[in-house]
Amino acid sequence: MATVPVKNAPTDETKETIEQRFRRLEAAWEADTMYLSDTQKIIDHPAFQEIIGMGEAVIPFMLHDLEKEPGQWVWALPRITGVNPVSRDDAGQMRKMSEAWLKWAREQGYQW
Amino acid sequence: MVDHLAILFPKLANKYRVTSERDAEYNCIAWAAGVTNAWWWPIGDPKDNYWPHEVPRVLTLEAFQAVFEILRHKTCESEQPESGFEKVAIFADDRGLPTHGARQLANGRWTSKLGKAEDIEHDLHDLEGEIYGKVVLFLKRPVEQ
Repeated sequence: MATVPVKNAPTDETKETIEQRFRRLEAAWEADTMYLSDTQKIIDHPAFQEIIGMGEAVIPFMLHDLEKEPGQWVWALPRITGVNPVSRDDAGQMRKMSEAWLKWAREQGYQW
Repeated sequence: MVDHLAILFPKLANKYRVTSERDAEYNCIAWAAGVTNAWWWPIGDPKDNYWPHEVPRVLTLEAFQAVFEILRHKTCESEQPESGFEKVAIFADDRGLPTHGARQLANGRWTSKLGKAEDIEHDLHDLEGEIYGKVVLFLKRPVEQ
């Protein structure tokens, strides 16, 4: 009897790495939120929430991106780590926020 | 080449000009206020965004109006260019919640920062639609000499 394959079932060949999953979710999130200013909508997007749910494993990828250019991972990192090294005076200043997170990460011993 | 912007904002097609690179450091409200180093939005964790401390952190048209009043704007009736004044337009969705801001250029067209994407020069109503809703508020201030 023929069996019906489970749609998109991962196999050894197709199983995503953590980084591949992270980048796939990032692409979906960016496609939907690239043109938005509403921080809450950007953060509440299901793909962004799924990335946050991946936990500490994705932090090095975010740090890698932030080192290249300031970005919105500064909104994910406090939700993963439970801490926020950004000064209240720097709120919204994405470059300073990114620098604060990179400094914090180095102090914590992260490598990326 | 696929024009991704024209897919999302159909009225833009062939009538806009990209004027900056993509940049996640600032958004439309900051750009409308003349700022390029911060993301201005009222809601979310206060450490996530800049918002003038004098203005309530609520997603209302009144709060956005108050922000621009701090910057010496006053409400006005139309988008028509007026000599000696700079105008700002605020967009809102069908619930009246602000979504976007644009600033008028000296040539009468408008400049918008599109989220964390590019700045563009465009005709004001060409950004109206599903994503940003409609223009609901105009403000103006004297141009600094």
